[in-house]
Amino acid sequence: MKMEELSVSSLDNSKLEALAQDILSDLVEDACLGLCFEVHRAVKQGYFFLDDTDQESMRDFEIVDQPGLDVFGQVYNQWKNKECVCPNCSRSIAASRFAPHLEKCLGMGRNSSRIANRRIVTGNNTNNKSESDQEDNDDVNDNDWSYGAEKKGDVIFLHLLNSHKGVRCLKTKPD
Amino acid sequence: MNKESRLKASINQKLTETGERDRLKELLRAKLTECGWKDQMKAQCKEVIKEKGLEHVTVEDLVVEITPKGRALVPDSVKRDLLLRIRAFLTQHAS
Repeated sequence: MKMEELSVSSLDNSKLEALAQDILSDLVEDACLGLCFEVHRAVKQGYFFLDDTDQESMRDFEIVDQPGLDVFGQVYNQWKNKECVCPNCSRSIAASRFAPHLEKCLGMGRNSSRIANRRIVTGNNTNNKSESDQEDNDDVNDNDWSYGAEKKGDVIFLHLLNSHKGVRCLKTKPD
Repeated sequence: MNKESRLKASINQKLTETGERDRLKELLRAKLTECGWKDQMKAQCKEVIKEKGLEHVTVEDLVVEITPKGRALVPDSVKRDLLLRIRAFLTQHAS
């Protein structure tokens, strides 16, 4: 007895399409029903109309669309021209530059330790009056390359020179 | 006709078994919310509720009013995307 072929490939295109449409139809109906149940429950539990507000509140909090104001109606650039006095160095700083200035002035913040480190190093190189001991300075000078090479290019160049020491130059081959 | 309905039943079973039906449902729901269909339908529901009264509206009222509108208002792009997925599933599971 021949087993009847029960496969999708036995269907022609139009029937395949019809099948797909049927499945879609079921899914859409399911979504609609789901929505109805959701809404009905919200109605009976009393939270369906909760996100609506009365007309008066709606008018109070309406979005503001005027020049010079943000959406809440506040003036947003009124601190542009103000100046603040720094509590640390007692200088008068512009308001928009105040936060970065404080970071550096107080020695807190993300970059201030890096900047301080850099300043120490370049400070050692350029002015030889040392804050540290004489011994420390001698150690620094004894190394292959100077610690004052702060520029990135210098460090990379010197590193390349050092690593090149052991390699034969391919250009000038001995005969 | 009988062969086709049996085929349809076996496909439906495969859809459920592999979890694809649930995935498709979720996908459809997400797309319908995204495109604003859900909000549209909620507005329609509000109409029905105002008509029938908050206390007395039944599920049946909503279903009868909302389902036909809901089906008609599904955007074509959403239908297309779902159909693509369904067709892919069908050809993949051509046993």
